[in-house]
Amino acid sequence: MMKKIIPASLLFSLLFIFSCSDDFTSLAPHSERNVENFYKTPGDIEIAVNGIYDALQGGGTYGTTTEFATGGTGGYWVLTEIRSDNTDQGPDVTGLSLQVAVLNRFEEDALNQIPQGSWIESYQGIARANAVLTRIGDVDFGARQDKDSFIGEALFLRSLFYYNLALLFGNIPMPLTETVSISAQVPAATVFTQLITDLTDAASKLPDVHPSTVGGRATKGAAQTLLARVYLTVGNNSAAETALRAIISSGVFQLVPNYEDLWGPANELNTESIFEVQFKSGLATEGSGYAQAFAADETQVGGFPVNQRNRPTVDMINAYEPGDLRFEASMDTTFLNPTSGARQRYVRKYLSVPAGDQDGDNNWIVFRYADVLLMLAEAIGEGGEAYGLINQLRTRAGLADIEANTAGTFEDKLLQERRVELAFENHRWYDLLRFGKAQEVMQAHSAGATLDTFDDPAFTFTGQLLYAIPQREVDLGLDQN
Amino acid sequence: MRTKVLLVCFVMSLMFIGQAFGQTHRVTGRVIDQDDRSPLPGLNIVVKNTQRGTTTDTDGRYALENVSPQDTLVFTYIGYGREEVPVGGRAVIDMFMESLVIRGEEVTVVGYGTQQRREITGSVARISTAALRDIPVLSFEHALQGQISGVDVQENTGEPGGQPNIRIRGTGSISAGNEPLYVLDGLPMSKNLDLQGSLFRRRAAFKPPATNPLAALNPNDIESIEVLKDASAAAIYGSRGSNGVILITTKKGKFGGKPTIRFDSYTGTQSVANQPDMMHAEELIAYTQDSRNNNYIQDLDPLNPSSPDFNPSYDPTNNDGRPNVGNYRLPDQYVSWEADGRTDTDWLDLIFSSAPITNTTVSVSGGGPNSSYYISGGYLKQDGIIENSQFKRYSFSAHFIGDLNESVTFGANIHASFTESDRVPANAPYFGRPPGIVYSAMVHSPVVKPLDDLGRPNQRAADGAQSFLGGGTTSASNPLAIIDGVDETLDNHRTFGNVYADISLMKDLTFRSMVGIDLDNFQGSFFRGNSLLYRTATTGDPYAQSNAATRTNWVWENTLNYKKSLRDVHNFTALVGYTAQKDVSESNTVIANQFPDDQVQTLTGGVISDGTSTKDEWSLVSLLARVNYNYNYKYLLTATIRSDRSSRFGPGNETGTFPSFSVAWRMMEEDFMRDRFGFLSELKLRASYGETGNFLIPNYGAIGLLSQGLYIDDDQPVVGVFPVTISNEELGWETTKQVDLGIDFALFEDRIYGTFDWYNSKTEDLLLQVGVQSQTGFTTALQNIGKVQNKGFELSLTSRNMVSAFQWSTEFNFSKNDNEVLELGPGTDEFPDGAPIFVSGGAGVRHITQVGAELGSYYGYVVDGIYQTEADIANAPRDDIAPAARPGDFRFKDVNGDGVINTDDRTITGSYHPDFIYGITNRFYFKNFDLSIFFQGVEGREILNLTARHMKNGEANFNSYDILTERWRSAAEPGNGETPRADRATGSHGQNNRPSSYQVEDGSYFRLRNLTIGYKLPRSLTSRVAQDVRIYVTGKNLFTSTDYIGFNPEVSLQSQNMLVQGEDYGAYPLTTTWIVGTNITF
Repeated sequence: MMKKIIPASLLFSLLFIFSCSDDFTSLAPHSERNVENFYKTPGDIEIAVNGIYDALQGGGTYGTTTEFATGGTGGYWVLTEIRSDNTDQGPDVTGLSLQVAVLNRFEEDALNQIPQGSWIESYQGIARANAVLTRIGDVDFGARQDKDSFIGEALFLRSLFYYNLALLFGNIPMPLTETVSISAQVPAATVFTQLITDLTDAASKLPDVHPSTVGGRATKGAAQTLLARVYLTVGNNSAAETALRAIISSGVFQLVPNYEDLWGPANELNTESIFEVQFKSGLATEGSGYAQAFAADETQVGGFPVNQRNRPTVDMINAYEPGDLRFEASMDTTFLNPTSGARQRYVRKYLSVPAGDQDGDNNWIVFRYADVLLMLAEAIGEGGEAYGLINQLRTRAGLADIEANTAGTFEDKLLQERRVELAFENHRWYDLLRFGKAQEVMQAHSAGATLDTFDDPAFTFTGQLLYAIPQREVDLGLDQN
Repeated sequence: MRTKVLLVCFVMSLMFIGQAFGQTHRVTGRVIDQDDRSPLPGLNIVVKNTQRGTTTDTDGRYALENVSPQDTLVFTYIGYGREEVPVGGRAVIDMFMESLVIRGEEVTVVGYGTQQRREITGSVARISTAALRDIPVLSFEHALQGQISGVDVQENTGEPGGQPNIRIRGTGSISAGNEPLYVLDGLPMSKNLDLQGSLFRRRAAFKPPATNPLAALNPNDIESIEVLKDASAAAIYGSRGSNGVILITTKKGKFGGKPTIRFDSYTGTQSVANQPDMMHAEELIAYTQDSRNNNYIQDLDPLNPSSPDFNPSYDPTNNDGRPNVGNYRLPDQYVSWEADGRTDTDWLDLIFSSAPITNTTVSVSGGGPNSSYYISGGYLKQDGIIENSQFKRYSFSAHFIGDLNESVTFGANIHASFTESDRVPANAPYFGRPPGIVYSAMVHSPVVKPLDDLGRPNQRAADGAQSFLGGGTTSASNPLAIIDGVDETLDNHRTFGNVYADISLMKDLTFRSMVGIDLDNFQGSFFRGNSLLYRTATTGDPYAQSNAATRTNWVWENTLNYKKSLRDVHNFTALVGYTAQKDVSESNTVIANQFPDDQVQTLTGGVISDGTSTKDEWSLVSLLARVNYNYNYKYLLTATIRSDRSSRFGPGNETGTFPSFSVAWRMMEEDFMRDRFGFLSELKLRASYGETGNFLIPNYGAIGLLSQGLYIDDDQPVVGVFPVTISNEELGWETTKQVDLGIDFALFEDRIYGTFDWYNSKTEDLLLQVGVQSQTGFTTALQNIGKVQNKGFELSLTSRNMVSAFQWSTEFNFSKNDNEVLELGPGTDEFPDGAPIFVSGGAGVRHITQVGAELGSYYGYVVDGIYQTEADIANAPRDDIAPAARPGDFRFKDVNGDGVINTDDRTITGSYHPDFIYGITNRFYFKNFDLSIFFQGVEGREILNLTARHMKNGEANFNSYDILTERWRSAAEPGNGETPRADRATGSHGQNNRPSSYQVEDGSYFRLRNLTIGYKLPRSLTSRVAQDVRIYVTGKNLFTSTDYIGFNPEVSLQSQNMLVQGEDYGAYPLTTTWIVGTNITF
């Protein structure tokens, strides 16, 4: 019997060698989707689009990161608010906070991790959008009607990342398809031209509201708002006006009656909100960290550690007219530290008690209707209609109307109104650039910085309006700007 | 089960005895070699004290007439010695003869077979049963420590069940792992540490060392361990051979052997070894005052009458006149210490206690004429020296072999074990999450009371608690609260083994088919209670995690072995084989927090907040072949080849082929040698070249993967998906090419013998994450690029100094390895062989891997003495990092000589790679006594002592190493010349705490690893109950000579990350152990 078993088993093992080995060693991942078998169905596209949105929450973009997990980046709010005359780093300027402090003082170098983090994470968002835009054409949506909407969302999100990158870094690569090959750098103007094309396309494809959702996804209004902003940035005010009037006439958005009702987890997705980045506590990874990043003391946020960053400057405090209801909704200058007894100031718009460490519920409002009204005033220029738009917001803030005779140029008055209305919402730095005021304002701010009683750090404004392209990218072949 | 086998054996032996009385009769039988069970022809059999006798035929059979039951048969055979067997009444006496082992003919396990030692052409080292038996170890890796040249066993942690790291001939890989391949009875084992899970919230740099997945194997069940060191020996394992191969052979029963019961047991106690000296309260108070005074004097100039800050009421011992900012004021505890009742807590004493250890193995082995068995059961319980840490192992092992007929033998070999680890967070700094116990105890101020007025761990609560204040030092969690508040267990069920059949197809040709399986299940749970306050936190942060993982690994191997001798001088063996192996692992993790209390510590007690589950697979199919040829054991050559195809390799690079070739010349077989150099009993020259691979690359590294995150839509989480890795179709194994030249020698009839090897090994196609422009959406791409070289030499020597009634032997081994990175990634103009890799370990960028240096070298400034006077500072190069250095601060070296000290002056300050390692064992036997003394040492290894950042920094913001009592005080009192002045704000003055050679310390050591004294009870006392009874006392880690300031000069916190080796940022210390034990053979 053995004589038969032996040859049989030998034969069997030889068969095994020649028949199965190819399949046996071709294994595909179980726990991760892979590029070969994904982007095939409308369902794939839907979650791939969600993946682009996910990039908005990053610590380098609109989110804020627990320092302890990633080494600490701050995202766009550091690069736009702390950089501008609105806020500073706060009292802690050691360790990782030092990297923020040097940005505030225009002393950073190309190795600074914060601009680098924003650069990397913005391009990750762009690559996610490019993957969708490159692949969606081949996907058969059958009866589903949302293909255009997905294209529009991807275009809007990609444009939003590019808008930030172009203004922060200037001369940037602009890949528009899914590829690992390298695109050459283009000037910001070229980026804006592309964004106008893309956002026009996105606005035509996106719905006024998404039928299945009460918030969280880009709409036609969001695309038009960003489109108008880009038009203003490139000086095409009439095109901006067209886009802005379309938003207003859509009737989708209205001002919230009380300014303070715009803020806090309870007031999210209100009628004034055009596009906001979503966060939700209690899910371990979906909370936001603004409350802890900005608060003055841990007692304000349920005992979780605070960073005391993004602290309003005295300049900012003084920017408010007496009686402006927006002041107390936006910041607090009277907080007494329970341990030291010292008086502290902090941004209040995002204060909340998180459910866990770095697990706050606050969303980040990217665009809201008040911005649309002010941009329309900017687009149409000085005149009764423009003052009317501005005064809508002043009335809500409990302030008297302004008009052509009020002191100052129209531009100054508009910029001032934008500053206090949209304080700590990542607009100030871009406004200064767009109005051509950055040099002048920052020069004055740096000179006056030491004069107040709150110990703002002194610094020398270098005149640098762009961030250096991160050194790692230069090492890998990009030109420094 | 075991009792049944015993019973059967017992009955069988009674049957033999029952036949013992009768008349003369005919006796027949067969004489067979014990080991390979080949018949022994021409063997002499004589009836004792007569001339009557016979010899066996070619088949080993014999027949003897007229034998009486009272007779005794004497079997003698050259090379096998002499055996006497009383006939009793038996008509059939089969005899199994054990060959007398001549050193050169000792059988050594090599991959997929065995060879006589004299036939081996590669570099193979062996640890025998005898050596394993002498020194009781908890896990087999410890048995290798200091015993085999070229094998560096690093004991990074003293945690019960902790994992030693083994490096064979250096570190060749950056990211693909440097662990050797472990092969247990032919079964290549997995050592996947990911299965143990890890805390989601724990920073990767503070992840504790994994528990040892191979601790599941009871070392008492091991017969021998062979280490395949060079590429020619390891090439038969192809793409898994480049880190060396460790072959473990477990015990078997003996054919025809009487049932033997062995009982091995010991019990003992462990205590902390090599505890560092920390400051006492009084010393810390003086140091704190000094540091704050220096800061005050420097910043505000209160002593200078012309200064606006002149302060005539300044008193260095109290707070008179000092402002309450800038760390000038002295903490109250330090000013009013007298009034405080002089608390002087020794926190280290509080966390360590002596801990019992006990280990017992019982085995039964034996066999019948056609079968053998070995079964054993073991129990180990090791308490940790930190409360709540413990390791338990229950193990079971069985090996059965049976001849089905003359040509077919079956075997089954199963090991099953259950281990239970209770873990404590000891391997982390005080600010880790959870905080490290040892570190928290070290930094905790001695002026703080350990318990509050109600006897609870002193934390931030009422009732006399003050621990959070740190007593004026930086706050740390109370280590006693950490011990109480964290509960972590890791259970592991592991079953591994194989079944096999050896079939003799024809003369000289055998076929073996083996199916092996390795099943692994981990269950981990972690709970951090409300009761533990994290540093200054006012509320607890309860958190629980549950991990489960299961792995199935099977292998099927088919080999054909051919063995032929022509005219007795041309000896051939050949092997061809085909193997397939697959490993599937699945794991899941669930997380909960928001526990209202600490009553229920499973996840059901809180709110589930997160979870994951994953599945991973890899597979490997291989063809292998080996040919050995020797001419009369004089000229020998071996050639092997293995071809591996693995799921891990990219589709463009699917199959790797690994050849090797080696030759040897046994010069002693030459007549001219024998004539002239008679004192040599062996002289063998060896040369080999081989290529091996490292396939420990990520499972799906070649495939572009998508990951997922969540986004919130309509206030609900939705899944989002995005690409995270770039496809690389060409991704493959790392290749190591190694040349080895060796000499085996023996002198004076084997009184002295040894081995010397020189090797040069280059690992190419190193797997690296190469940086890519972020515009692609990725920052790195996994590529095979880079090269590392390890070269060195090894010597092992054994000398049997005295061989008479008093026996004394000395074993010595020495290994030196030089590690050098040759190439790293794509070249640039500045770095033609690739840019350096800077890596953050536990505390910022302190490691560099660069071409021309050792992998993972330390990186920082170089301390070049201490400024003694203002003139010293003025004359030294300007230090841009130190804003206001004063005498007593470090003078840093201007490395590039440009007259300024800045970031460009950072350089390599040492590495974890030792210059050389060595071990010396002396064994003595006299009458019934045995004694072994084993020393082991490492020279030229540096430790990156990150604890120095806090406890040696001069800032007195922590309790500190008492070496700070020898700090610089003035030019007249310069201290030990190595320790700077105390300065609470050195960060704004001398920056003494910048990453520098000050935190790099000599980790060389010389250690008395093991001292064992045994005594074999006289037979006369024990023969009624047992054959052999030995009792012994062993001490481990009895003495360590080292300059290292911390606990353990072998520490390496992130031992799995090659780029950041050698960090000490808090670790579970090693223990000194005393045990008493007994070995009993029944």
